[in-house]
Amino acid sequence: MTRWVFMAPLLALFAVFFAYPFGYSVWISFTNLTITKQGQTKFVGFDQYLGLLSNSTYLASLRNTFMFVIAAVGLELVLGMVIALALHRQTWLKNVTRSVLLTPMFVTPIAVGLMFRFLLNQQLGLIPRILSVFGITIDFFGPRLALPSIIAIDVWQWTPLMILMLLAGLQSLPEEPYEAARVDGADAWFTFRNVTLPLLRPVIVVAIIIRALDAFKVFEYVIAITKGGPGTATETIQYQVYKTGFQFFRLGEAAAMALVLVVIVFIIVIIGYRRMVPR
Amino acid sequence: MMRTLRRILIIVAVIVVVFPYSWVVISSIKSQAALSDPSRLIFRPTLVNWEAVIDGGILGSAATSIVVGVVTVVIALLAGTLAAYSISKWRTGGDQTRFTVLLSEMMPPAVLVIPLFYLALNAGVRDTLAAVIPAHLTFVVPVVTWFMIGFFDAVPDELEEQARVDGYGRVQAFFKVVLPQVYPGLGAAAIFAFILSWNDLFYALILAGGNTRTLPVAIASFNTFRGVELGTMSAAILISVVPVVIASFFVQRRLIQGLSGGGVKG
Amino acid sequence: MLVLLFAVLALVASACSSSSDDTSDGGDTTTTVAVEAGGEAATVRVIMEEVPDTDIVKGMLADFNAEYPDITVEIEAMPYDQMRDRIVSSFLASDPTFDLIIVDNPWMYDFASAGFLEDLNDRIAATADYNYEDFSAPLRDIAEVDGGVYGVPFYNYGLSLIYRSDLYEAAGLEAPTTLDEFGAAAAALTTDDVAGIAMQPQKGYKIFEEWANYLFAAGGSIQDADNTVVLDSPEARTALDTYIDFYNSYAPENSLNWSFDESLRAVAGGQAAQMISYNWMLPTLNGADGPAGDLAGKFKVAEVPGGISVLGAWYWSLPANSNVKDASWTFVSWITSEAQAKTRVIAGGAPVRNSVMTDPDVWAQGFGEDYYKTVAAILEDARPLADGPNAEEMINVVGEELNAAVAGQKSVDEAITAAATRAQEVLNQGG
Repeated sequence: MTRWVFMAPLLALFAVFFAYPFGYSVWISFTNLTITKQGQTKFVGFDQYLGLLSNSTYLASLRNTFMFVIAAVGLELVLGMVIALALHRQTWLKNVTRSVLLTPMFVTPIAVGLMFRFLLNQQLGLIPRILSVFGITIDFFGPRLALPSIIAIDVWQWTPLMILMLLAGLQSLPEEPYEAARVDGADAWFTFRNVTLPLLRPVIVVAIIIRALDAFKVFEYVIAITKGGPGTATETIQYQVYKTGFQFFRLGEAAAMALVLVVIVFIIVIIGYRRMVPR
Repeated sequence: MMRTLRRILIIVAVIVVVFPYSWVVISSIKSQAALSDPSRLIFRPTLVNWEAVIDGGILGSAATSIVVGVVTVVIALLAGTLAAYSISKWRTGGDQTRFTVLLSEMMPPAVLVIPLFYLALNAGVRDTLAAVIPAHLTFVVPVVTWFMIGFFDAVPDELEEQARVDGYGRVQAFFKVVLPQVYPGLGAAAIFAFILSWNDLFYALILAGGNTRTLPVAIASFNTFRGVELGTMSAAILISVVPVVIASFFVQRRLIQGLSGGGVKG
Repeated sequence: MLVLLFAVLALVASACSSSSDDTSDGGDTTTTVAVEAGGEAATVRVIMEEVPDTDIVKGMLADFNAEYPDITVEIEAMPYDQMRDRIVSSFLASDPTFDLIIVDNPWMYDFASAGFLEDLNDRIAATADYNYEDFSAPLRDIAEVDGGVYGVPFYNYGLSLIYRSDLYEAAGLEAPTTLDEFGAAAAALTTDDVAGIAMQPQKGYKIFEEWANYLFAAGGSIQDADNTVVLDSPEARTALDTYIDFYNSYAPENSLNWSFDESLRAVAGGQAAQMISYNWMLPTLNGADGPAGDLAGKFKVAEVPGGISVLGAWYWSLPANSNVKDASWTFVSWITSEAQAKTRVIAGGAPVRNSVMTDPDVWAQGFGEDYYKTVAAILEDARPLADGPNAEEMINVVGEELNAAVAGQKSVDEAITAAATRAQEVLNQGG
């Protein structure tokens, strides 16, 4: 009995602010609800979902969103790991460097987007100007590099979170396996591959999941910098949903767009999680 | 050799992080005309942007953000800690529960915002913080609960058993014996949750406004139809970052220690 | 359960908001007037966009209250996207957040036909000396939907050519009247340090807003008299070819994501010689302490090459769910009256009334005869980007195709065909 008393506040919050809105959204996705035509709302079954199959912009945004998440989280993991390893053994200026390195995640993402829009601007920005001294010009928001640039911005902002989680994980590791490795004369890389990585595995899985679930919501950088362009190169689901629902007023279709992503991610996470953390 | 490499790496990382800030600092003390060429480095500094931002009520927005963050975190910790204990120690709902908790974190705000908007409308709290806080709870509670489950997993079961032997009831054992064990973790989860709430733009924008603008909404409003007001925006960014940098100087150790107490483990 | 939770939260919030009221006004401007109990006292809550014209309106509130002390006008100003989201959410409520809103022309048809806006016909007719016919005709057309009048013009943002008169003079050039002349002028003005034209090829609204001027100059149209989309034309292809050619030859390097903001900055900072932009930017650019610094005073405005501009405009509209419509209309009819329109324009507002643009007082106290005559000429035959349902979406899909063509992801032919097909689909969906 006590166990359910302990669960009660969470379940209450969950029911009112989560399950109910979620159910409501599922219902909306089966209607043609449009803000500007509320009198004509009717049940349309799977029409909204079927319509998405032939919506080329939506399909492009699905692809972009997945590429974004894979590339951004992958880079953040690798960079975060390297930096966390370096910080783990560091003693010199420890507190200062750590608190500075963690700050990007405290800046609201829309401001980060606007900041980089100007920093990376060919004519007005500081970074291209510095690069031009070395004779390099990069079209950061051109057709080829727009998505990678958005990914790089995400890496700037969120690698700190990766560092934070991995560093915490490293500090919680037991000493004994390392001593054993040292006794066996293992080199640093061998120790990392065969001791650190396996021990850290659960932490890495959680870090990836937390970061990836958040990365699927990418929206601010796009609206601040490219509005989804060039063409559809940086269209993302969250931006599509925002445009469709709030700019074009079609809430039914917007709900369907978001729920398709939810279902896909749900399936991936279940499969991935089962595989990586066998119980 | 390794040590030098490590230092170089850390220095490079610090430079990459700090470089954009230095540009923000410079932009915040430029006049409107000097900002027409944002990369110009020689100019006459001015404090007009800082004055404009402070007169524009940015401190009020910061206060609003703090209130939203603190209330959200307190509610989330209350609900999340209790539930996490139940899930961790008493296996409430079976093994699937902890996974469900994490999965609910992925819900896109766009799915929930319209129903939440109608809820707020019917409850008569639209455009107040009471509309924003529940929305923030939707993504803060799952993370907090998830972390707390990990912390409680790391506390040995014997501790509760011993407390029961000593004559404590289940509830008493939790509050008097087990909970103090996870205080560092609680702190870490609180800070983490606060960051999530502090950064949210989407919900705050749609569910509140006017006198209840949060900091991200205020900062976003420097992106106007007459152009991005780089000077005032930069000053606002600094106002929003500096306190957190100072705070993180003091809390980062706790944060890392706290998280390493089990929260980051699955 | 639900009610209880909200009640608790509401308590918390009211405690918080009352304390934050003391520390800040959240950017609002309020004219507080002593209001006697009873009488016609009313508070009109207005949502507006953060633009120079809004600042001018705020500055006129004191005059309004001198005449109407019982009406309190509270203006909340915010950026475009935020404003739209909040207007829409206010429509959905039975008890609205705003009593007076401003409406952008692409929203007009949808908002009016959804029943969100009050028909102003009777109020206009009942207002003495209002002289509604004095508003520039293309502006009036946009707000007239199915026989109703759903907004009165606030300010226009017709597109114009804004150029550096000193550079033009030095090169012995005259303001271009055709696309060919425009290209020739840009070629003559392009140097290593200065781009010939600062453009705004950002995906969506921005590129369409700029390119449509090229389309009109090439003799093409977006919709015909029956509102059918006629974008799939040889003229459209010529216009897009020209646009891409100009982008590649005269626009700043790598400026594919540029919006109005970057262009303005480049022109204001002397890094570009001209741009196609809103005519109301001229007072901003030429103003002391403005973005142009020492270059202020060197900018001039002309009709876009070809002489037919894209028309944009903002309107004052009354939400149908407001409870203080009379007070709102009192304010609207005051601020848009002939006398106040004159004051507003002299202060730098973008004109919408013909009488104001031909008034020698305005010429003398404002920005000169040339400027107002040019604006009048722009408005005379300007056309909106879209007319009919789902305008906002139609503009966005066309803007996506155009941007893809400039990026080289699609050929001009593919982009125009797709833009025309998709625009028509969007239009049909709304019909």
